[in-house]
Amino acid sequence: MNKLWENIFKFHKKETDSIDNILLKIPIFQDITNRELKRIKRILHQREYKKNEVIFNQGDIGLGMYIIVEGIVEIVCGPERQALAELKSGDFFGELALLDESPRSATAVTKAPCEMLCFFKPELLDLVKRDPKLGGKILFKLAWTIGERLKRTNEQVKETGYAGKKEQLNS
Amino acid sequence: MGNSSSNVGKITLILIISVVIIAFLSAISNIVKLVIISALLAYILEPIASFIESRGMSRLSATATIFLFIFLVIGVLSFVFVPVLSEEMRALHSGFNNEKAEIVISRFENFLVSNLAFLGVRDLDLLGKIHGATAGIGGWIFTHFFDAASVVTNMVLTPFIVFFIMKDGRAFKKAFVGILPNRYFEFSLYLFHKLNIQVGNYLRGQMLDSTLVGLLSILALWLLDVKYFFIIGVFTGLANLIPYFGPVVGATIAVVVSILQTGNFNMVFYIIIAFVLIRLIDDVLIQPLVVAKSVHMNPLTVLLAVLIGGKLFGVLGMLLCVPITGFIKVVVHESITNYSKYREA
Repeated sequence: MNKLWENIFKFHKKETDSIDNILLKIPIFQDITNRELKRIKRILHQREYKKNEVIFNQGDIGLGMYIIVEGIVEIVCGPERQALAELKSGDFFGELALLDESPRSATAVTKAPCEMLCFFKPELLDLVKRDPKLGGKILFKLAWTIGERLKRTNEQVKETGYAGKKEQLNS
Repeated sequence: MGNSSSNVGKITLILIISVVIIAFLSAISNIVKLVIISALLAYILEPIASFIESRGMSRLSATATIFLFIFLVIGVLSFVFVPVLSEEMRALHSGFNNEKAEIVISRFENFLVSNLAFLGVRDLDLLGKIHGATAGIGGWIFTHFFDAASVVTNMVLTPFIVFFIMKDGRAFKKAFVGILPNRYFEFSLYLFHKLNIQVGNYLRGQMLDSTLVGLLSILALWLLDVKYFFIIGVFTGLANLIPYFGPVVGATIAVVVSILQTGNFNMVFYIIIAFVLIRLIDDVLIQPLVVAKSVHMNPLTVLLAVLIGGKLFGVLGMLLCVPITGFIKVVVHESITNYSKYREA
């Protein structure tokens, strides 16, 4: 094969492999087959963002989750834009919006040019209708992920409460 | 200053592009109509394709299966109903010729002229008008549904377009959303989602509702031994897609046909009772079940939309005005609700 074509295909394969690897590391897409992964990739939206671009604002209606393929995203909260977290390639955010339509609890802004994959509620609902087995797997994993986050938040609240009480006793 | 002049420039550009697009679409209005009807049909059939897909078939196979089934049903129905339908159409096209009916109408006309002369009622020529109207209805149906060239074109093109919209609809939507700026991307998908739920439910519900009303009308008119019961029933079902006007039009045609057929008013009462019963069944049983969860609109809005749709685009306008008004309502409502948030972005 011509060297040029070979390189183009190699480049394309490399990019696909990296997306596949990123997706398979996301908890809600774990334990899925290659065929199912292909099916999921077909319903994901691929977007590119410039540096300092707002992905969504706190208070916006959320429709789904974002997966960072490349770049850095900062999650900020409140009018002073207090930084809550900095997320990089392979991280994801906004997954709660797959379940409800409550407003976004924080703002997401890019800190570097980003490439994202977006997985939204209408596509998830459609997938559940068309492929109940795969849809069920994703919903189960989504519930597990949110449960894990809830456990971690409870632990943090407990720790903060314990530290607060300790401070009160000391003073 | 610079910012406001660039905004004026943007608005002017958007207006020019909109005018060019509208002018282009009006120039190819027949193709636009065909695409709109095909898209609606694809939209109505979508849940069936998803159901078949859930049984393990690919989208292509699911779409092909639906088409095979539809062609099979049309084939069977053609053998059973086309002879009846064509006979009824031919009779309708040639108009009515019933001596008894003519006597009844003349008597009715004399009664009106002698009793309502003070209102300036004279020389009504009811008989001529009814002959003209019935032949006109037949002629209208012939020109709109049985014009050979357009039938062949539509029969070939519509299934073709429906097939590709059903097969690649998701890819079309993804490609469309893909060209939108990041700022409006998620909101646009949210709008699509809302439209799909509300307008989609309305369309599918109305389609099912009209089919059931059509079947009930055929049954009722057959039991009452009304001539052309099949075509009037089908027409009533189709007319039912037009809110308010549809059911009245169906009943009126049945009453007129019955008077012309029997030459007296004996059956009128039973036909009216039958249509009132069908209306009750529709309002109490069918509508709450099949049209629930769809976009809610004020009855006055619906009535005005039907009148404007009819005035601008005829029967097709009357059929499409409600889903289009629902579409506009959802877009405006969601845009106003979310506008302030997106302005901050």
